[in-house]
Amino acid sequence: MIAELFYRRQALVLGTLSMIGIVAFWQIAVDTGFINPFFISTPSQVAVEFMAQFEDGSVATNVAATLYCFAWSLGLAAVVGIVLGMLAGWFADVESALEPFIWFKYSAPTVAFYPLFVAWLGYGRPTIIAIAFLFALTPIYANTLSGIKNTDRDLARAARSFGAKPLDIFLRVALPGSVPVMMAGLRLGVGRALTGVVVAELFGANAGLGYAITYYGQLMQTTKMMVSIVIVVVLGVLLTQILSFLETRTDSWRVDNNR
Amino acid sequence: MAQIEIRDLGIDYRKPKSNEVFSAVDSVALSVEKGEFVTIVGSSGCGKSTLLMAVAGLVSLTRGSIEIDGKRVDGPGPDRAVVFQEASLLPWRSVRGNVKFGLEMQRWSGGDLNERAMQMIRLVGLGRFSDYHPHQLSGGMRQRVNIARALAVDPEVLLMDEPFGALDAQTREIMGTELLRIWERAKKTALFVTHDIDEAIFLADKIVVMGRNPGHIKEVIKVDLPRPRNEAILDSEEFHELRKRLRAHLAEDMSSMQLVQEVA
Repeated sequence: MIAELFYRRQALVLGTLSMIGIVAFWQIAVDTGFINPFFISTPSQVAVEFMAQFEDGSVATNVAATLYCFAWSLGLAAVVGIVLGMLAGWFADVESALEPFIWFKYSAPTVAFYPLFVAWLGYGRPTIIAIAFLFALTPIYANTLSGIKNTDRDLARAARSFGAKPLDIFLRVALPGSVPVMMAGLRLGVGRALTGVVVAELFGANAGLGYAITYYGQLMQTTKMMVSIVIVVVLGVLLTQILSFLETRTDSWRVDNNR
Repeated sequence: MAQIEIRDLGIDYRKPKSNEVFSAVDSVALSVEKGEFVTIVGSSGCGKSTLLMAVAGLVSLTRGSIEIDGKRVDGPGPDRAVVFQEASLLPWRSVRGNVKFGLEMQRWSGGDLNERAMQMIRLVGLGRFSDYHPHQLSGGMRQRVNIARALAVDPEVLLMDEPFGALDAQTREIMGTELLRIWERAKKTALFVTHDIDEAIFLADKIVVMGRNPGHIKEVIKVDLPRPRNEAILDSEEFHELRKRLRAHLAEDMSSMQLVQEVA
């Protein structure tokens, strides 16, 4: 029975076990004096500190601040990325015109633009949202582009044989066919947007998880800092999982049913 | 007057790299009567699919003309519907959604779309599978959906481009018999491209044999086998005779192809 359960959920069980193992190792390594808690704190201290920060409301404040910027940046990146991606995927000229910018985006680290945004928008949310927007934009744009551009020629031809006009082909063939690829782009974008928000918050913010991390980091309060790091990790996993779930829902037609 | 009238048809392609002009089909003339089942057979590269796509209005003509019921073809139209070879079904739509697709594109006004689609799905024997998606169906079932999608728009002419080319021999035979059953009920003019000799004879009122370099018509053979047909005719004397004749044609093409390869 237990063995059967194990085999069925092997990946999940092993993953959980290794997580528990690492946390236990962390706790034991510090308790036995193997590692100085100053550098890494301990799981038990972090848990206690988490409860404290939870009760005084700072967890809620920081998560809310980070999620606010995250939602704006991802939302903007999704709208701009999908619209531009659709245009570039459908009209080769648009793709050529946008190409150099995408090139820059790929070759230059986005954070390098940070001081520029500070000069334009000042310290605070607009700059954070702008940086995170740039982080998230590329995969969403690139995936939408490739989805539309690689529209199945046979399907397009079949549609034309029934008298489909270019707009029909775009709406009924290219767009629905691209949804799974676009969802994959959004999933990547979610991770990028969160990274962008936290990185920008490290540099200049008055709330948010990234802000809390630098703030306590500079005060050398490792335990308090670890609380926010753990929250960022959990948040990232959670958000990406939601998108992965949506992704599998939208591309059920692409895979064999008896998988 | 014939329903499909093809006169002095020529189709040239420009090769994308060398810019060389290459003639896929040349000097083709053919008339097809209303309700006739015509198969087009030939080895690969003889331009048989190009000819069919030209009738469908999906390929532009270099020379000559194609008329259907006296009207010149200059693009796809509701008087024709195509059954394609492979996965030309929309994978994200159900069987019913796919059969409705052509109706949606043509802004069908002949009543309820769902009702019309279901009628066609039942005609091809897939009534129980209307909510399935293409990836859940076998190759033969998918081609039934393809046929239903084409018949749904009620075309005058049914164009089929090796629809059973990807199926195994046995399924292919079953589908051939099925197609004849459906065709006899639907009363459509049919143009059917294949490279399978038996299939070409079994289905046809008239076989168009094509040759290569450039694609042209070598012979048009009338088939007088009685209808309705079943597998039994595969063993008849007349069938054997026709098969021998077609084989000779294709063998000729094969040997000339080998010669070209040896010279090259």
